[in-house]
Amino acid sequence: MQSRDVDSLQKVWAWLIAGMIAYIPANIYPMLLTSTLTERSESTIIGGVVELFAYGSWGIAAIVFAASVLIPVGKFVAIVYLATSVQRRSAVNRHGRHKAYEVVEFIGRWSMIDVFVVAILSALVQLDTIATINPGIAAVSFALSVIFTMLSAQAFDSRLIWDADRTQQ
Amino acid sequence: MSDADDIGPAPLDVRPARKRVWQRLSLVWLVPLAALAISLWAAWQSYEDRGTLITISFENASGISAGETAIKYRDVTVGEVEEVEFSDGLTDVLVHARVTKTVAPFLDDDAQFWVVRPDVSVRGITGLETVLSGVFIEGNWDTQADVAQTQFTGLEQPNLTRANQRGTRVVLRADDGGSIAAGAPILHKGIEVGYLEKPELSFNGRQVIVSAFIESPYDRRLTSSTRFWDTSGFSVSFGTGGVSLDVSSLASLIEGGIAFDTVVSGGEPINEGHRFDIFPSEQAARDSLFTDPNAEVLEVAVLFEESVSGLAVGSEVRFQGIRIGEVSDLNAIVVGDTTEAQVRLQAVLAIEPSRLGMGPDATVDDALTLLSDFVTRGLRARMVTGNILAGTLFVELVEIEDALPAIMNLTSGEFPVIPTTASEISDVAATAEGLLARINALPVEELMDGAIDMMDSFERLANDEYTRATPAALVALLDESRELINSNDLRAIPSDLRNVIGDLDSLIAEAADAGLIADIDAAVAAASRVATNIEQSTQNLPQITANIEALTTRANELELKALVTSATQSLNAIDAFLGTADAVAFPAEANAALSTMRALLDDVRAGGAIENVNAALASANEAAKAFEDAVSTLPALAARANELVDQTEAVVNSYSERSRFSAETLATLRDIQEASDAITSLARTIERNPNSLLIGR
Repeated sequence: MQSRDVDSLQKVWAWLIAGMIAYIPANIYPMLLTSTLTERSESTIIGGVVELFAYGSWGIAAIVFAASVLIPVGKFVAIVYLATSVQRRSAVNRHGRHKAYEVVEFIGRWSMIDVFVVAILSALVQLDTIATINPGIAAVSFALSVIFTMLSAQAFDSRLIWDADRTQQ
Repeated sequence: MSDADDIGPAPLDVRPARKRVWQRLSLVWLVPLAALAISLWAAWQSYEDRGTLITISFENASGISAGETAIKYRDVTVGEVEEVEFSDGLTDVLVHARVTKTVAPFLDDDAQFWVVRPDVSVRGITGLETVLSGVFIEGNWDTQADVAQTQFTGLEQPNLTRANQRGTRVVLRADDGGSIAAGAPILHKGIEVGYLEKPELSFNGRQVIVSAFIESPYDRRLTSSTRFWDTSGFSVSFGTGGVSLDVSSLASLIEGGIAFDTVVSGGEPINEGHRFDIFPSEQAARDSLFTDPNAEVLEVAVLFEESVSGLAVGSEVRFQGIRIGEVSDLNAIVVGDTTEAQVRLQAVLAIEPSRLGMGPDATVDDALTLLSDFVTRGLRARMVTGNILAGTLFVELVEIEDALPAIMNLTSGEFPVIPTTASEISDVAATAEGLLARINALPVEELMDGAIDMMDSFERLANDEYTRATPAALVALLDESRELINSNDLRAIPSDLRNVIGDLDSLIAEAADAGLIADIDAAVAAASRVATNIEQSTQNLPQITANIEALTTRANELELKALVTSATQSLNAIDAFLGTADAVAFPAEANAALSTMRALLDDVRAGGAIENVNAALASANEAAKAFEDAVSTLPALAARANELVDQTEAVVNSYSERSRFSAETLATLRDIQEASDAITSLARTIERNPNSLLIGR
């Protein structure tokens, strides 16, 4: 009988690394394949943000940037912080760890906003030769990355935070 | 049990068994491992598939954009431009592109690249698809994988020929490239079978070289006997064959064109890159049909003493009417020593041995030997007029029967010399003069004199006064006749006659009532006797008839001309008569006479004359008897008639000489008028005393 999931941290690290691996092609490969009558363009996440920013759509650019870059990267950073701090049983900022865990749990469900956008656009804009939008490989990679990080967050046993607090006392 | 609390065993130090590292590892680690593996594999795959980077340099990269412009081979996209940059020194535009790995090995030194842009020309519109999609780079290479290259130089103009297109490429040479344009069609019997590439100057700058591509299967028509000629525009040639106007199709008029044909069989198949000459016209091409541009020609010289005006470089050389070569050079040379030097005009004849009937293997020396033999047998050169109007000449080699012995001079000058004979030059002036001389010799003046005489005769005839008078006299006669007929009096005659007849009718009816018939029978019987006597007395008639025949014969012998003249005169006389007032008055008088007669008849009826008729008939009976007696004297009458005929004959005879016929006629007519007057007076007399008619007083 064990009151703690002894393999929790292992799972956290494993899912986290898988999510980070999947996040690389999600940024390299194109997210959207846009074909119009005269041209055919592929846009990556960062490329799309830069383009939106160049066109003056700062708000949308900020939203896309937050959803596609800030949130995933923030999750990676938060999970890494939680895992390392629990392992090292660091005494610094014990309250902060709780906050970090809550944030990770909260924003995890919003991470899929990018994938939703791509899925909706792909479904709506299918006008044959005039204009067509198809999801790129990056969409699949990004979805996988989000799923992996969510699994990583779920694998984290929040009681370990308390255990770590107690051992320090 | 409290002891147990105190001295109980020490609390268990329960701690999990220390597992080995690999035992403690979770299976979850497989997930990132798999993700990593997949990512690495994808990266490697992407790297493997990304194709070969090639660099194409263009002078002008108009429309090419990195990441968009495709590279196409036979309309299939095989690559994409990745980067466009300038070469060192900004001389060229370097286009870096990736082509798929499948085609990369075929990009050897024959690969060509050019930019496809919309192009509108007389040949049509090409590259229209690039208007929407933007330009693309078209590549062309053959299907033989050779040493692959990555550096290429792009073409500024599209290459018209696909590297693997079936056909034959030949090289055409022309003196003038004015009518040759890249893409101009090559026609064979009027259909387009190929096209020209871009013309270029030859290495020495004297000719225009153009590569031509003949598509399969038409390239099978190409042999070494094929001739190409220029069909662009229209040409007017004015040579020994007369004037020739050649207009080809309107298309080639605009864009130029080359045509070829192979008229004779027996040519050898050609290889790729065979050289042909472009002749300026079809005629020139056909004339040169037997000319092999690479064959050697025998050059011989002819020295003319007279002017060679009209002879030109290119003039024909004929042997017994067949073209065997042409004049290749004309110049003046000095012959003889300094003391007796003479200037002669030297024409160099380029003779093709194959045209002398010597076969394709004959050499120049063979031909020279043959010509030498001919010269010793009398072969001479002379100039002959080719076209009288143009004054062109050609050189003819003829065999002169009684030629002075001569041999071919093989050694003295630059060329072997063929001796000459008198030229047959007939120029325009001489020919025209001969024509005029013959026209001059025609008997034009005699012909004109005869025509003038004939016209004079006609004129005299027309101006003759008799000729002119006849119509006028006839017209006047007709006018007056019409006037006479139209007079009211003449028209009234028929109605008056009808009235008279009616009166007579009623008179006769009354006579019948009075029992006149028996008397009439007696009268008829008496008349019958009279007729019998007449019949007897007519036995003398044949004599009369004979006399009349004689008279007729004499009359026939009369001169017609005199008769016509007299007839004319008589017509005039009649004319004059009709013009008199008496003639016009005649109908009125006749009418009056008839009226009188009718009145008379009325009186007869009214005056109880019928009673007198019996007596009258009795008198008539007596008269018939008297007449019977008289008839008995008919033979005497016949004799007198005979005399009358004789007299008439005399009259006719006298008439035949110079008679007064017309005067007599006029008198006769006047007598008629008098008779008319007499009738009138008679009628008036009868009117006054009707009984006199019956009683004879």
